[in-house]
Amino acid sequence: MDEKLEKALEFSNFTATLNSQKRILLEKYHGDLVLYYKGGKFSITKEVLTFCHMLKTPNTVLIDDNNTPIQIDDLEDFTTLAHQKYADATNKYLTSYKEISKNRSVEGLVHV
Amino acid sequence: MSNGVLCFAHNNGKINYIKQAIELAKRVRKHLNLPTTLVTSTIDDLYNVDVFDQVIEIKDNNENYKRYYNGTLHHQNLAFKNNDRVNSYDLSPYTTTLVLDTDYVICNDSFKHAFDSLHDFQIYKDGVDLCQWRQYKEFKYINDTGIPFYWATCFCFTKTQETKIFFGLLQHLVSNWKHYEQVYNLGSKNFRNDHVFSIAIHMMNGFTDGNWAKSLPGKMFYTLDRDIIKTINDTSLTFLVEKEKYTGEYILASTDECNVHVMNKFSLGELIDD
Repeated sequence: MDEKLEKALEFSNFTATLNSQKRILLEKYHGDLVLYYKGGKFSITKEVLTFCHMLKTPNTVLIDDNNTPIQIDDLEDFTTLAHQKYADATNKYLTSYKEISKNRSVEGLVHV
Repeated sequence: MSNGVLCFAHNNGKINYIKQAIELAKRVRKHLNLPTTLVTSTIDDLYNVDVFDQVIEIKDNNENYKRYYNGTLHHQNLAFKNNDRVNSYDLSPYTTTLVLDTDYVICNDSFKHAFDSLHDFQIYKDGVDLCQWRQYKEFKYINDTGIPFYWATCFCFTKTQETKIFFGLLQHLVSNWKHYEQVYNLGSKNFRNDHVFSIAIHMMNGFTDGNWAKSLPGKMFYTLDRDIIKTINDTSLTFLVEKEKYTGEYILASTDECNVHVMNKFSLGELIDD
């Protein structure tokens, strides 16, 4: 182990590192929740999922993250992909969160 | 219609930007499956041409210097050759171009969605600092009058009449930078592309808050040159991030499948394979 790394590990505060890693995971999770569809950018939230389920029409217009209206011709397809995106991102987040939560060393938190 | 990545690399005697560009091109090919064009004024330092789609040689017209840190304790004043990216529109051989800094470490494929976007110009307004405690207002607004800050580190544009006007405006700002620097009361000794782009976007928005520039896909994580990158592989990176109130001490941070702008060129250079 090199000197800088050893010194950092020595001084590192476990809680600070844990919180920092949790924050990075959360930011990554928010990025993973984005669905790119028909040139639009949609953050898949619980609100979006509920709204899509509530609509009874086969098509609709949704406003994306850039405030651009996007014509959704196949709402069922969009909803399926949105569900998939939400499940994938959230499960990934859960797995990573559990992994860092069980670690009790700075090295374990960052996989050094 | 063609898509590709454009990067600029000018070695300054101490920092090997060409080496960084080669690493970037390899990662772009791996994660995005796109060609990369290199723009350089130090072509003699180029040792691996095969990774690039095209290499464009230009003259060095830069006269900027800045302080480069290598962790919190060491720094050097070096030439900073950075005012060419405003010529991206003229130089790029692609219809839609993603322009990236050579110190941008690609670890996922999120940028591929930029090429499917409905919008002609995309850039990041917000980045995520891997250091939790740092909250620098200079990354929110370029000055006290509230002009939003945009990261010129990476942006994507499609060649249209509108983006041509935008890049023409950028060139005008750079040519008259001493004037605009004072008009916008930047109070910064260093020329920064971020400021030029932020001012130009503000103008394109009609000198008000607007959304002419749309957000790039994915998230931009970044570390400053006061932090140190320790390990690098295909998708994971580990950093020593400066500790609050303890100069010379660091805490560890790691990322997985996140693109990270690594501003410490010295430590990045040490980790990249030749």
